[in-house]
Amino acid sequence: MAKIIIDSQEIECRDGVTALQAAIEAGWDVPHYCYHPGLSVVASCRLCLMEMKMPHPQTKEMGWAPKLLPSCQTPAREGMEIRFNTEKVKKNQENCMEFFLLNHPLDCPVCDQAGECHLQDYSYKFGKAESRMVDQKLKNPKKDIGPRTLLYSDRCVMCTRCVRFTQEVSGTHELSIVNRGSRVEIDVFPGLPLDNPLQGNVVDICPVGCLLDKDFLFQRRVWELKRGESVCPGCARGCSISIDHVDEKVYRLKPRFNPKVNDWWMCDEGRFGYEYIHDKKRISSPLVRRGLEQTTPNWEDVPAVLRYRFEQFVKAQGGAKVVAVLSPFMANEEAWLLAKFIRDVAPEASLAIGPVPYEGDDQIFPAKASGDGIKFTILKEKAPNRKGIESLLESLGGSTLTCEQFVEKAGAGEFMAAWVVGGYPKPWVDKDTAKLAGKFDLLVAQDIFENEFTTKADIVLPACAWAEREGSFTNADGLSQPFHWAIVPPDGARRDGQYLFEIAGETGLFSAARVREMMAASVPNLSQVYESQRKPAHAH
Amino acid sequence: MAAFEPVLLRNRGVEGSTTLKVYESRGGYQAVRKALKQTPDEIVAEVKKANLRGRGGAGFPAGVKWGFLPKDRKKTLLCVNGDESEPPTFCNRVLMEHDPHQLIEGTIIAAYAVQAQTVYIYLRGEFHEQFHIVQKAVDQAYAAGYLGKKIFGSDFSIEMYLHRGAGAYVCGEETGLIESLEGKRGWPRIKPPFPAIEGAFRLPTVVNNVETLSCVPHIIERGADWFTGIGPAHSAGPKLFCISGPVKRPGCYEGAMDITVRELIEREDMGGGMIDGKHVKAVFPGGCSMGILSADELDMKLDFDDPRNFGLLGLGTAAAVVIPHDMDMRVVLRNMARFYGTESCGQCTQCREGTAWMHKIATRIAADAGRPEDLDVLLETARNMGMMPGLSICGLPDGATFPIETTVKKFRSELEEYILAQPKGRAEYLLRVLN
Ligand SMILES: Cc1cc2nc3c(=O)[nH]c(=O)nc-3n(C[C@H](O)[C@H](O)[C@H](O)COP(=O)(O)O)c2cc1C
Ligand code: SF4
Ligand code: SF4
Ligand code: SF4
Ligand code: FES
Repeated sequence: MAKIIIDSQEIECRDGVTALQAAIEAGWDVPHYCYHPGLSVVASCRLCLMEMKMPHPQTKEMGWAPKLLPSCQTPAREGMEIRFNTEKVKKNQENCMEFFLLNHPLDCPVCDQAGECHLQDYSYKFGKAESRMVDQKLKNPKKDIGPRTLLYSDRCVMCTRCVRFTQEVSGTHELSIVNRGSRVEIDVFPGLPLDNPLQGNVVDICPVGCLLDKDFLFQRRVWELKRGESVCPGCARGCSISIDHVDEKVYRLKPRFNPKVNDWWMCDEGRFGYEYIHDKKRISSPLVRRGLEQTTPNWEDVPAVLRYRFEQFVKAQGGAKVVAVLSPFMANEEAWLLAKFIRDVAPEASLAIGPVPYEGDDQIFPAKASGDGIKFTILKEKAPNRKGIESLLESLGGSTLTCEQFVEKAGAGEFMAAWVVGGYPKPWVDKDTAKLAGKFDLLVAQDIFENEFTTKADIVLPACAWAEREGSFTNADGLSQPFHWAIVPPDGARRDGQYLFEIAGETGLFSAARVREMMAASVPNLSQVYESQRKPAHAH
Repeated sequence: MAAFEPVLLRNRGVEGSTTLKVYESRGGYQAVRKALKQTPDEIVAEVKKANLRGRGGAGFPAGVKWGFLPKDRKKTLLCVNGDESEPPTFCNRVLMEHDPHQLIEGTIIAAYAVQAQTVYIYLRGEFHEQFHIVQKAVDQAYAAGYLGKKIFGSDFSIEMYLHRGAGAYVCGEETGLIESLEGKRGWPRIKPPFPAIEGAFRLPTVVNNVETLSCVPHIIERGADWFTGIGPAHSAGPKLFCISGPVKRPGCYEGAMDITVRELIEREDMGGGMIDGKHVKAVFPGGCSMGILSADELDMKLDFDDPRNFGLLGLGTAAAVVIPHDMDMRVVLRNMARFYGTESCGQCTQCREGTAWMHKIATRIAADAGRPEDLDVLLETARNMGMMPGLSICGLPDGATFPIETTVKKFRSELEEYILAQPKGRAEYLLRVLN
């Protein structure tokens, strides 16, 4: 903890940070573009300049240096004295803002960034009301630089964050700088588009509306969006994300700063992997089959129906013939509630984990980096909660099965009643697993899309997408992180947590925190969750 | 006044001066033999004593710069700055065209002094012919065993590479040069770290100008005292001066730093006076970047210190360009502004936008669409950039500040006259048409 003085106020800052970071963390709003805590320092936007006390070259007496210094490049040192509240500093900020706008199109009304634009914010706060330039603006072109991204280079402030991202984090080097002077532009090489698994991050770090997501382009004004805090279910890393949504529709996902997992980043697969939420083919209401007869029960009756069916079965065939397959897409709380119910009606029942999807290999960024050089990893394990389910099974004990054991035993007819949970965004029932669907006398399928299990099941329960649920996922490193619902489930459906809560015999409103309290006795390690700082250390 | 005996240009005009044979026959490569018998520290001390100030523009003492290298370094690089892109400047070019071996000898001595076993000569992209001349000389030096392994039979080895730029002014700035040398875009780096600590390829690096290094053999051969005996104490040694514009004898001349701008223009052995009865209206005495002198300021001394007394940035490259009396100062202003507007590398906001804006304003004034307030905007913008107030990474915008500011200040009444003489409403009309 170093003590430094900013604008005559003494503050304490973390060790090893820059003066800019120290000031921002202590609540100063220092305008800056080129600085990003996840990238190297280039000190080129010259917007964050400050005054600093330095020893006089001859007399060695401490005094304010005549030069302005970049706060993003100056390490915060014990006892250092800096200031931002002077005429000189403010004048520079004002001049910079005038300079940034000289050739800027100011097309905020049609710019996706408007509302979360640091050119708007800084101009308003630090800039002049009018430009003195009467000459024609230089207009750099709009460019299609990749399958998912557009570059409106007339809006660029040349902070080079995007270029440094492709050099230092993704390591893919697609972006470069061409031309000189005010004609300078960001560009891609001919035939080499911006196309890497992390490319979406350049849109996030662009402080203005220069880099744009085609997916979000002209979809919604950002001030209409509401932000839900969540965890990405795309792979077993569990990146912290925000779900930006409005009118019960998800518009985009953005990474949320989490120093333990994803820092400032997320991958494209996770970022754009939410579309299935709004798929019209989703199962949206419960279903009960008796022979050829199908009915849609009232949600209020569902717990009683299920309990009755399972109790009848256990009476007839014994509890050992009962199995519940817990999906690695379930939250710990949901899985625990289901396990509680099953063990309640049949203490000898088996608990199994559902199939865990794998794709390719883990991907490291930059490629071939090692140790601290690794900036981001995408895991091949494409489910958010294998670790949580496994650890739940271990804590609960009794008869627990791996997915292979379940397939084998069910194939051999050892189980006659099964509750199979899916919830996978992609089809998950392969040929061998499909054969199991007809083998049960009592089958409950809880899933999001139709498959062999839901078409044969006696009772079908709609599963919800993670953006509609709440709970916690335990990532590959064993870190349990809570996620919160952002939107409501489709008409007719209910949150898995809510109906499992009722099925497990509880009453009232489901809340993940409440269930974690209930879990504390039986599965203590899953009842503690880590929530990354709500307020990121850095605004943008 | 005793005639100045040329030092750096002594081989100019000698038949075959670019060849090793002729250079050696005139006493070349003796200094380096002498140097290799001394310790590196002795050479650094001698150059320090000679107060050899850098000829690249900043005037920083070479010996002191060499002393900044970390003591425990393993590898050192020496870069010869042959980017020479300052507008009216061609001293380095003359040295390379006429006496490449003098440069090579000075470079070897400097490399030995800083213990650099790898040397890069960075040449601006437009130096085609000069590249071949220097390359030929380097090949000859290699063949003679003056470069390569164990030079002159000593234990010291040195590899020398020529590197050609792609034509950017900013690549003459030492860290821009280093980036360009590494194969990257010539964007100057933030300091610290300074090149002496972490330069090219992250190694301690010394960057020196061609002319600075060409002085070194003479210092070693004739001693620091001889060197400091030439010219004033703060600006010791021989210096090349360029003169261009409507003078009788445009060209590159050598002298001590005790002459005035007037002498450079008028002297029979230098500029030789103006042609066609023209007279001087203004002079850029140190390349463009240092600023402009009006006709009544021609007694400025061409040394490292006096230019400051005239509101200029410094001596710069000591390359003067003369503006004749019949030249429209609006055109001069536009020309200056255009250069910096197109040469700014585009990294720092103030420099990127400011230089381009000044170019727009100057162009408009030259097109008869100026407004009286434009001159104030020019002055203010020129002050809102630059490394000296801490507003940018390199010194390029300082070099833009001075010519624009001094031209507007010293020739304001003329510029205002032009603006007032514009037909009424023309500025407003042109603004509408242009935009
Ligand atoms: C914009 C800019 C352009 C420069 N161009 C050159 C150049 O062309 N040649 C040169 O020797 N120095 C140039 N310099 C100065 C170099 O940065 C550096 O100071 C010099 O090479 C050091 O050599 P010296 O100490 O021998 O003078 C330039 C500096 C700036 C800021
Ligand atoms: S980048 Fe910002 S200032 Fe520019 S048009 Fe978009 S919202 Fe407006
Ligand atoms: S595109 Fe955006 S991130 Fe990239 S340099 Fe321009 S403003 Fe910065
Ligand atoms: S001051 Fe100008 S030329 Fe120098 S680094 Fe900055 S933008 Fe480039
Ligand atoms: S944030 Fe410090 S110079 Fe850009």
